[in-house]
Amino acid sequence: MLSWAIRLDGRTLWSENAVFGASVYGESLRKFSGTEYRRWDPTRSKLAAAILRTKRNKSLLLPEPGSTVLYLGAGHGTSISHLHDHLCGADNDLNGRIVAVDLAPRCLRDLTYLARSRTGLVPILGDARKHTSWGVLVPHPVNWLFQDVAQSGQVEIFVTACRRFLNLGGLGLLSLKAASERWTGEGEHVLFNKVATQLTESGFEVEERIKLTGYEDNHVLFVTRRVE
Amino acid sequence: MWLWYDWQAAAVADDDGVIHDSAVWDGFFDQRALIERLHCIANGGLTQEARLLQNRFPDAKPTIHGDPLLPAADWPLPSEEALGAADKAATEMARQGVAKAAGDPDRRLEHLLRASDELRATFLTMEARLVEWIGLFLPELRFGKDRSTLAKAVGEADSLAELASQLAVSMPESGPSKSEWKSLREWGDSTATFKGKLDRLENGIRELAESHLPSLSMMLGPLLAARLCVEAHGRMRLARLPAGTVQVLGAEKAFFNHLKTGAAPPKHGHIFMHPWISRSPRWVRGKIARTIAAKASIAA
Repeated sequence: MLSWAIRLDGRTLWSENAVFGASVYGESLRKFSGTEYRRWDPTRSKLAAAILRTKRNKSLLLPEPGSTVLYLGAGHGTSISHLHDHLCGADNDLNGRIVAVDLAPRCLRDLTYLARSRTGLVPILGDARKHTSWGVLVPHPVNWLFQDVAQSGQVEIFVTACRRFLNLGGLGLLSLKAASERWTGEGEHVLFNKVATQLTESGFEVEERIKLTGYEDNHVLFVTRRVE
Repeated sequence: MWLWYDWQAAAVADDDGVIHDSAVWDGFFDQRALIERLHCIANGGLTQEARLLQNRFPDAKPTIHGDPLLPAADWPLPSEEALGAADKAATEMARQGVAKAAGDPDRRLEHLLRASDELRATFLTMEARLVEWIGLFLPELRFGKDRSTLAKAVGEADSLAELASQLAVSMPESGPSKSEWKSLREWGDSTATFKGKLDRLENGIRELAESHLPSLSMMLGPLLAARLCVEAHGRMRLARLPAGTVQVLGAEKAFFNHLKTGAAPPKHGHIFMHPWISRSPRWVRGKIARTIAAKASIAA
């Protein structure tokens, strides 16, 4: 068990289903000693891929159950649903809160539908860069922030978002898509190194760099801690 | 002096973070009022409380919660209850935003156009198959440029003999079996209905494009206007594109090939559909495309 709700069985991840019998994106359901779990697909969720790939303690990547987290670039709610299982539990017993921000109405359509059955999930239609339009909904800084926006300037977006919303010592996860950044012709490795330096200079400690190749090509997930 | 505010409260504090005055709104049970406030803040406006305090302290600088310039202070942050109400309001706002997206003509136009492209591809393959199929049984049949009546004729004929007499060709020695003819007839029938569907779809595009892109439709015709708009990912973006980009929209492959290998640049993209270009001799097409693109860029 990686947490009370997340379970590693062999090489597959499972999360205890907060809404009994419901499969969110067509993932398989299975019972482990009477409790229903949903399979967390690493090819569809970068967070799951990172958990499977990390060389450190896997549970370090997960937020504290019952806390508030911020998720930028929420997408269709694949990762979000599993995160909700872990943070909130059935009927939000743990009183967790996921603030999920995305720009595309198409994604929000799925998220608002998800939010109906999963209390504690707060979908926001907004730009991850424009904090003024939705920042008042996150009055207290959080301890866990995930960003997965595939647009240029991902690192700047991440740094400004963390300065505004992440506590000192809080964990910031940045999923970086190489193809979204300007191609300098020097190769991906150089690009990722540059990003790591940029993060360190902006007051983050890069704890780990997880390559997601195989699950999600040309992606690297930076595990950072805000130190200043 | 600082005037701090968020959606439910406002406070005035000095540079040391000592709060001098504050005002808190407790009407958050009214979701509509709350959503109105969140919209107001998103648009950069001040809430009622912030304006009240602004009148009392005209020299305080209004600053939204979370601004890094603000001094650390014990701001009147929302209570657990207020936070819950705000979460519900945010969800409702997201729902409204999603509902609003249906009113976005750019998205509607894109679906219409893509649907018509797919339908046209299907229709053309079906028609080509029908012509080959009929040609097998009625080898004397010759089609000029007009194949459009064939589908209807096949769909409405009761037997191959009837069709042959209608089209004034002789019957072959061996005809199709009963069930084979039935399939053939149904194929013709559905080809004809596909044709009708395609026409209706294009009418839909014309209608929407004429209301959404009136000047561009006037200039290039509604179908081409719609295509340019979809290809540019929206009217707003199309209007901001330079004429040179409008000229080669739809010829991305040739254009990047040009950048990569230094081959000749494309003269025109989708804009080629315009009769001024497609009906012109080859050697002036590039020039006309440039002129039309410049005008389209202004019209968009």
